[in-house]
Amino acid sequence: MLILTRRPGEALYLDDNIKITVLSVQGRQIKLGLEIPEETTVYREEVYLKIKEQNRLALETSQQDLFAATELWQKKEKK
Amino acid sequence: MAKERKKVIRTRLGEREIMDDSIIYFSRGLIGFDDKRDFTLIRVREDSPFMLLQSLEDPNLGLLVADPYSFLEEYEIRLSEAEKRILRVDNIRQIAVLVTVTIPKGKPEQTTLNLSGPIVINYVAKKGLQIPQVDSKYPTHYCPAAEDLK
Repeated sequence: MLILTRRPGEALYLDDNIKITVLSVQGRQIKLGLEIPEETTVYREEVYLKIKEQNRLALETSQQDLFAATELWQKKEKK
Repeated sequence: MAKERKKVIRTRLGEREIMDDSIIYFSRGLIGFDDKRDFTLIRVREDSPFMLLQSLEDPNLGLLVADPYSFLEEYEIRLSEAEKRILRVDNIRQIAVLVTVTIPKGKPEQTTLNLSGPIVINYVAKKGLQIPQVDSKYPTHYCPAAEDLK
């Protein structure tokens, strides 16, 4: 990991088109300002990791359970 | 000629024949599987709310997904301008929303829908993107069975 030290008001560039500015530091919170290309998406890491785990779980279903669940919800919808 | 428009792929549910125009391109892959780009949707059974979002490149990569609206009428998602641009959405009617499904081993009654990472598909442009929802008011794991018991 590359480690840099910045003060509030200072910025850094990733390539030519991503600029990250440290806006303020208040106690344990750091406010960052991002200037990014229009098609760049930004996601918080904890959300991203949670979805990664859910994707993995969505892969692990056994066929037997899958068909059982299909039965279960077909019946319920027909009620 | 018509033959060229079909292709046989291997899936978690065995071989399936799909139409070329049912291939959906995920320019960023799925979260955790960002190197696989081409997917198709396969119904588990007729009338089932469950589908497999199946990679064309890897037979083992078939995620269980469902139409959330079969279970939860008022589910809403947010798309940023960047995400709309990636999906080439210019009309909200072009999109379909899916969510991944978790079935705990041997406990199909404890099936949950994962509402924080919907997969949005522009079925006109055949483009897909998984879109993390940050300020979601919905639970991460929504259990349809628990709802039925109310």
